[in-house]
Amino acid sequence: MTLGAWAELVASGVITGGVYALVALGLNLQYGLMRILNIAHGEFLMLGAFLTWAAQTGFGISPLVMLPVAFLLLMALGLAIHRLTFRRLARTSADLDVFEARGLMVSFGLMFLVQNFAQWLWGGELRGYDYLADPVAIGDARFAANKLVLLALALAISGALIVVLRTTLLGKGVRALMQSPTGAQLVGIDTERLHPLMFGVGLGLSGVAGCLLSMTYTISPAMGEPYTVTALIVITLGGFGSMAGALVGGLALGVIEAVGMHFTNPSLKTLLSYGIFIAVLLWRPNGLFARR
Amino acid sequence: MNPRRTPPSGFPRRTVVRALAAAPVALAFPAVVRAQPAPVRVGYAIARTGPWAGGAQVSQEPNYLLWAEQQNAAGGLSVKGTRRQIELVSSDDRSDIETCVRTYEKLMGSDKVDLVLPPWGSNANFAVAPIANRMGYPFLAPTALSRRLIEMQLPYFFLLLQQPKPMMDALVDLLKANGAKTMAVIYVDDLFGLENYAALKVAVQGSGISIVEDKSYPLGVKDLAPVLRSMKDKSPDAFIGLTYPPDTILASKQCKEIGFNPKFFYASVGTAFQLYRNVMGAGAEGVLGMGSWNTKTSPGAKAYFDAHVKKFQKEPDRWASGACWAGLEIMTAAVAKAGLDRKAIRDYVAGTDHSTIIGKIKFVGSENIGTPGSVSQWQKGEFEVVWPKPIATAPLQTPKPPWA
Repeated sequence: MTLGAWAELVASGVITGGVYALVALGLNLQYGLMRILNIAHGEFLMLGAFLTWAAQTGFGISPLVMLPVAFLLLMALGLAIHRLTFRRLARTSADLDVFEARGLMVSFGLMFLVQNFAQWLWGGELRGYDYLADPVAIGDARFAANKLVLLALALAISGALIVVLRTTLLGKGVRALMQSPTGAQLVGIDTERLHPLMFGVGLGLSGVAGCLLSMTYTISPAMGEPYTVTALIVITLGGFGSMAGALVGGLALGVIEAVGMHFTNPSLKTLLSYGIFIAVLLWRPNGLFARR
Repeated sequence: MNPRRTPPSGFPRRTVVRALAAAPVALAFPAVVRAQPAPVRVGYAIARTGPWAGGAQVSQEPNYLLWAEQQNAAGGLSVKGTRRQIELVSSDDRSDIETCVRTYEKLMGSDKVDLVLPPWGSNANFAVAPIANRMGYPFLAPTALSRRLIEMQLPYFFLLLQQPKPMMDALVDLLKANGAKTMAVIYVDDLFGLENYAALKVAVQGSGISIVEDKSYPLGVKDLAPVLRSMKDKSPDAFIGLTYPPDTILASKQCKEIGFNPKFFYASVGTAFQLYRNVMGAGAEGVLGMGSWNTKTSPGAKAYFDAHVKKFQKEPDRWASGACWAGLEIMTAAVAKAGLDRKAIRDYVAGTDHSTIIGKIKFVGSENIGTPGSVSQWQKGEFEVVWPKPIATAPLQTPKPPWA
């Protein structure tokens, strides 16, 4: 294989990985911070994708314009959902373990609700549209323009999130909560406001991921679940609660899958992903990038 | 933290009293309805949610709804000359075989509907067909494609779609007649992909065409570019994708992306969908796929197409939708002739040469041998049947133009 072919292969893995990372970051915010294992995460990605599709085909609105719109709408939805369900759960659960188990059940319910809502509103068919699909040549390699946009935005948004968490006071509060919820509360960090906000941001990110994905893939109400599963693998790879870990984990998984598929067979892709998942759980249960 | 308790809520007393008052009125209604002949109850389960819904909601359920509406508008379904309204008893199988099987067991076992219509896809039909057969319900499946279904030899089961062998034979005939020497193949690793791939391998034997690369992929694949790139390096004359709708579009988009433009580009389920043209735009031009009819096939096909577009504001697909409608035509004719005696319906379906919107249909065992294997091609916004020549609606255009 030539160097150019390798570059092309790795780059296509990085593109897929960028999306994995973005989806995983949103889930990681919810799980790492609040122990909400949101199984419905992929469904909100699907909502973002459908909103973008509807705006594009119905009103000719550019998916790039829809990017912040999808974020804000999904974030608002996240705030509402948190208020209606998880806030209540947090108040009535005896301890964090009980909360986690009950939260999982609630998110299962959300999954069916959201999926069926989309189904009822838009029908079960596959949908798609044509946007920036023309190939761009970089050296010998060729990529669809929308994929390059997707990668650039996924990396930019993930990077921005990590920087915000690292450098701002808000980020400090969030990280403190991840490290020690009780300690953070003792020093006066307001969980009542931070929890809903971060849940909303998590959903907003999944909306953004959906918006980006709708540019390159066909969409359907059932599209979300595989992304939830991939996101779970990625955050296991990167370590629960570690944002940089999720980013690197997502990109790595994308590249491993692309290279694996090229040299073996796409049918073995799932075997590969789960093989890595199990190996990490066995040997580095805190994630590949955990500092502990 | 204290668990919150709320008092149990019940119906307000007033609502209950009102409901009781209304009951006698409701009971009086059946007497009025009985003045007309009872409706024909037609049951089915189909995917409205989950991964099967994409196919089911394009090729199948819209046709059931359109059929019932058209028959009812004409005064009802003719049961040996008596017009009776059709009542559809349907539910969502959630793309789940268990749910699907249980629903049909209920429809046929305890609800005792008059007729059933099949679910979507080879897998669901595989599970439900034996039960329908045991209970003696004729089953005309429009979206099932598998040799194994035929080998079960179920007398009440009929498959409308052309099977892997005729489809792949037609494809290889077309390629051979047009000078292709090499092909690269991807196939989805489930019943559909495996059987078609096996049929393709048999068909290319002795045809002078060699398979330079073949790769399988799993359902729900998100990236085929690594495989397509290595196929591009071997520059085969033909690319054959034995694919499902999402992957049909994925493979097409990614071939365009990497500039893989063989002389013949073939993909399977989904090429016949209006969605394909919408998503690929001008890039659809010259793409080959599984299709068997369009509005030029027959005046009936045109009428059906127009009625479908009018009711649903979307086009039926140019493959299974036609077969589905043909199946409903056959069922309608059978009930007109044989009434609701299901054994008589079965005998009528098995023993008659049917003329339908997609042409003659005739069953040997479960297989429709009336419709030949066929290949279609997108040409200027229409999915034209290009092979075999007797049923072609337009001549084949070759080589495929560059992706636009």
